[in-house]
Amino acid sequence: MIVEYYRPKDVSETLEIIKNPKIKMVLMGGGTAINRFSSESFAVVDLQDAGLNSLHEKGRILEIGATVTLQTLYENDNIPLNLKTSIYRERAQNLRQVATVAGTLVSSNGRSPFATAMLALDAALSLKPDDETISLGDLFPLREEILGSKLITKVAIPLNVQLAYEYVARTPADIPIVCASVAKWPSGRTRVVLGGFGDAPILALDGPESGGEEISAADAYRHAGDDWASAEYRQEMAKILVNRCLSKLEISK
Amino acid sequence: MDIKLTFNGESHEVEIKPGDTLLKTLRRLGYYGVKHGCETGECGACTVLIDSKPANACLLSSAQAVGHSVVTIESVGEHPELGWKKSAGLHGIQESFVESGAIQCGYCTPAMILAAKSLLDQNPQPSDDEIREVFSGILCRCTGYKKPVQAVLRTAATARGEEVEPFESGIPASPEWLGGEGEPSPGFDRPFTGIESGEVIAPTRVMPSIQITPETEAWQRVGKPEKKVDAVKLVQGKPAFAADFERRGMLYAKVLHSPIAHARIKHIDKSKAEALPGVSAVLTWQDIPRVVYSTAGQSDPIPGPLDSFSLDNKVRFVGDRVAFVAAESEEIASHALELIDVEYELLEPVFDPAAALQPGAPILHDEPEYVNFAESDPSRNLAAEIRIDIGDVEQGFSEADHIFEDEYEVPKVQQAHIEPHVSITYWDEDDRLVILTSTQVPFHARRQLAPVLGLPIKRIRVIKPRIGGGFGGKQEVLSEDVAAHLTIATGRPVIYEYTREEEFIASRSRHPMRIRMKTGVKSDGTITANAMYALSDTGAYGSHALTVTGNTGHKSMALYVGAGEYRKSPNIQFYADIVYTNHPPSGAYRGYGVPQGFWAVERHMEKIAHELSIDPIEFRTKNSIREGEMQPFSTAWSEGREPRPETIETCGLDECVLQGKAAIGWDQKFGNSDWHQVPGKLHLRRGIGVALVMQGTAIPYLDMGGASIKMNDDASFNLLVGATDLGTGSDTVLAQMAAEILGVKVEDIIIYSSDTDFTPFDKGAYASSTTYISGAAVIKASEEAANRIRVRAASMFNENSEGSEITVDDIRLVDSKALAPDGRSIPLSEIALDTLHHKDQEQIMGIGSFMSKVAPPPFAAQFAEVTVDVETGQVVVDKLVMAVDSGVIVNPITASGQIEGGMTQALGYAVCEEMVYDSEGRARETNLQDYHIFQAHEMPELTTIFVETFEPSHPFGVKAVAEIPMDGVAPAVGNAVFDAVGVNVDANPITPEKVWRELMKSG
Repeated sequence: MIVEYYRPKDVSETLEIIKNPKIKMVLMGGGTAINRFSSESFAVVDLQDAGLNSLHEKGRILEIGATVTLQTLYENDNIPLNLKTSIYRERAQNLRQVATVAGTLVSSNGRSPFATAMLALDAALSLKPDDETISLGDLFPLREEILGSKLITKVAIPLNVQLAYEYVARTPADIPIVCASVAKWPSGRTRVVLGGFGDAPILALDGPESGGEEISAADAYRHAGDDWASAEYRQEMAKILVNRCLSKLEISK
Repeated sequence: MDIKLTFNGESHEVEIKPGDTLLKTLRRLGYYGVKHGCETGECGACTVLIDSKPANACLLSSAQAVGHSVVTIESVGEHPELGWKKSAGLHGIQESFVESGAIQCGYCTPAMILAAKSLLDQNPQPSDDEIREVFSGILCRCTGYKKPVQAVLRTAATARGEEVEPFESGIPASPEWLGGEGEPSPGFDRPFTGIESGEVIAPTRVMPSIQITPETEAWQRVGKPEKKVDAVKLVQGKPAFAADFERRGMLYAKVLHSPIAHARIKHIDKSKAEALPGVSAVLTWQDIPRVVYSTAGQSDPIPGPLDSFSLDNKVRFVGDRVAFVAAESEEIASHALELIDVEYELLEPVFDPAAALQPGAPILHDEPEYVNFAESDPSRNLAAEIRIDIGDVEQGFSEADHIFEDEYEVPKVQQAHIEPHVSITYWDEDDRLVILTSTQVPFHARRQLAPVLGLPIKRIRVIKPRIGGGFGGKQEVLSEDVAAHLTIATGRPVIYEYTREEEFIASRSRHPMRIRMKTGVKSDGTITANAMYALSDTGAYGSHALTVTGNTGHKSMALYVGAGEYRKSPNIQFYADIVYTNHPPSGAYRGYGVPQGFWAVERHMEKIAHELSIDPIEFRTKNSIREGEMQPFSTAWSEGREPRPETIETCGLDECVLQGKAAIGWDQKFGNSDWHQVPGKLHLRRGIGVALVMQGTAIPYLDMGGASIKMNDDASFNLLVGATDLGTGSDTVLAQMAAEILGVKVEDIIIYSSDTDFTPFDKGAYASSTTYISGAAVIKASEEAANRIRVRAASMFNENSEGSEITVDDIRLVDSKALAPDGRSIPLSEIALDTLHHKDQEQIMGIGSFMSKVAPPPFAAQFAEVTVDVETGQVVVDKLVMAVDSGVIVNPITASGQIEGGMTQALGYAVCEEMVYDSEGRARETNLQDYHIFQAHEMPELTTIFVETFEPSHPFGVKAVAEIPMDGVAPAVGNAVFDAVGVNVDANPITPEKVWRELMKSG
């Protein structure tokens, strides 16, 4: 239950508010996760006026303000087409208008198409107050511990990368049972990420060049069984979807 | 905290709590067009425009909205007639929604209109895909989205000055006209990349194809696409639903649900909860009378066991009731629940119905108050047992050349109406208990609640306002007793509104079943005998246990009677055991057991036809029941009452097959190996499938509806019915029937339903009965009034004439006039004034009630086209075509909306919807993300064709529409998957892993 509400005007005010909290302090992007009913008492810091909602291209990097909404990012013409697909599959339009990039990543689980694609892109998060940068892959397993009273200010993704995204679901708009995203850098660096299972998407491969993607994918999902699908099925699908991603990338060359 | 918010251009100073959602604040301030459907943002019923963009008010805090423009439906359009005040009228989108039948229950309508407005304000020429995209965040469980999309297309086209398709009285359906071949299926491309294909799958033609029966041609109101009588209020988001009727001093109820599947409550300490400031009452089983009853809303006597208590000292499923709380706010009530200490004595649970039947299994119902019905036996966990033998199946099997046996499984699924269960209760000024509730069965609710609450029936008044969808889920007395007990305890008004999670864990659902089929067939395709055994899981309580599962056999096993001599004396067996387990209770859900049966029967028939190398449609029509034949089950079973023989008077099944085949291009696709390939996509295969189905129309010798009608000074009429329109459009079709009889416009009929104090009895909205049963009551009442009008008119004609005397029978009522054979006419308004004010004053009125001795079945041919991914097992349904014989169609637009919405629900049953529980009975699905229902932007193409017959047992020749679209989609999709990739999935939903496993097995 939200018992206090703050709306700071900039980053420094935000940092001041969250520095010494008397009660649990939660940073709020769009609020699509936070505003759900909870019996726990906490304060929210609404970041909508904190000046974190802009997009900047710096060379081959797109810096996405933490509170840029999914819809705004979706409408950006410079992001990889398959990142758009992952955003489209993340949430229906109503929620995309409100949900923010950082908020979605922080609250996502393994079934998130957007988190899967962003992990494939090796998204990097900038944190205040210490101006540190952390990769999404490093953040996912330790979200609460790492973030603590830190503020995500932006998320950076490379724009010179080819990205593919494939998934299996019960219906076209359903959340995926298995999904895969493969990113390929001009240098040959290849990242393979699997989603559809667990608390966060899994990095199956990050290699300096192509090769071994299918095997890595199957290996990564060896124990990926839950109520929604067996590990055997997810393993097989991981191989197939990664293969399809690679074919897509090959075609789009 | 005090904040300033801008709603609809007006600034408001508002005091809120930091956690108050925008939804809560808006509704507190009287913006009732913003609806509650869930708490997690999936349903979108709470959509408002924030800075001109649609967003969910349930997931925005009120404080977040400061500095933003918030637009609600209250700012869009107004009623075109506001007395002396000039009205701007409805917005163009609202008008299109009204005309196009885009509204059924109307609960999501304000959200859709706002979303459409945001789109059209930016884009005057949106594509079908763009409209579906803007609707993607708004779930509609009624329409199937086709008509809302068409409404927006029509609005946009009209605004651009373009012509739109007119509303004709009917578009004849014929194989030639329908073309047949159809466009190539889009496969995965449209739905899966789905962002910008631009393909139009819902043109502006709203009318379905209808093959019209000649008897209807002269009618003026029946058979016409009249606007829904409640549409204007619904497009404006007027406060029409139960939760909109807040009372001064109202308390909020919450229920403590059991976290354990099977336990005895050893001790409850509610003292801390009671001490919490703002808590008015905490009730446990020790505080209220122990009255056994059934929650199933059915006629007396309830055809099932009495096995429920408002609160008990035992819990039987995760989600069962433990305690009730009433407090000044929802938050306080929720907090109070956490302060109730419950000590449970754990009992062994049983989740498998087969295991529950075994000797030594844990017994769910050991309470002495349990009241048996028929063969129920709580000592064996048996809620009901059915053993029906028609003919001699063993003899039939012995005469067969082939015996086919197989097992099938159907899941537990949710009605998922977007409006949750809601009840508001209060004592009125006469100390009568008023229960204002979202129910399908107001009269049953009153009767059933009376003993539970310790009140005589006459001291309870049940008011059914507008219902935001029910689909059987509200044929259950679930929320009413909670609020009522708390009103009795506190003396104050109480509202109890389910959360979405409560809908999943603590309401009712479709019975899951395991079904075994055994069929004897001769080599020429003649069925010699057909047997079904159904093991049905009723969950913790036996509501609808007997009757739902009885209908599984009663309808699905009646369709195929055999060929030749066998159809004169078919050999059919239907046995079923309906078993208690520690799963949440099952209950009524649109189709009422029949979709379960047809999944098994129609998958089975497909396999038989394939094995015998007989065309699957020829095999079916060779053996299917025909006009003039006896409904074989009519002599054997009638929902726990005495069965009476019944002949099928009308059956348009062959014509449905013909029309449906043509519409989907069956002859061009089935067996065509080229068509099954998807060019350029080697991993995809197309498939086409069919299922034939039948339903019933009401329960014979039982279901009864009443109506009364009175004439007003201006020759308008107040029509009072007990029937319950839960979004189906029944109020509209009943008004059309009255208007037809009385010779007036539909807008001259002011229909009201329902209030147990004011409207005549009606058994309620279930069994596909309202148009047929309540309609016939309306006709009787209207005819009585019409006869008095003719009497008065004859008198007025003869008084002023020296010519030949005009008799009552000579007079026709047309165009709001009484017409004499000689061409003279008197306006009905003159007759009204004459009777009310001028001479021999009387109130012209009529009453009528109707009970049917038959339950004429509607029939349908359901077709499906799919694309299957042979590597992943993923199935995409590309097209659904349903050709339906529902007798005469009273309103083609509302009826086709029923078919489209029903097919969409059934599509979920086919591919994605199921309720799964872990080993301790905890639900996997507790929200509308995990329990996925189809969204606007992922829908297949939907086609509806009506093949009219004239059912002689009804004055207007009608049969039922509402439930039959649930029956055939899943098996047709299953059969299409088989056609595509040659594997059988025998348990729905047809999920990717199931298909993949079968593909792996088949090599």
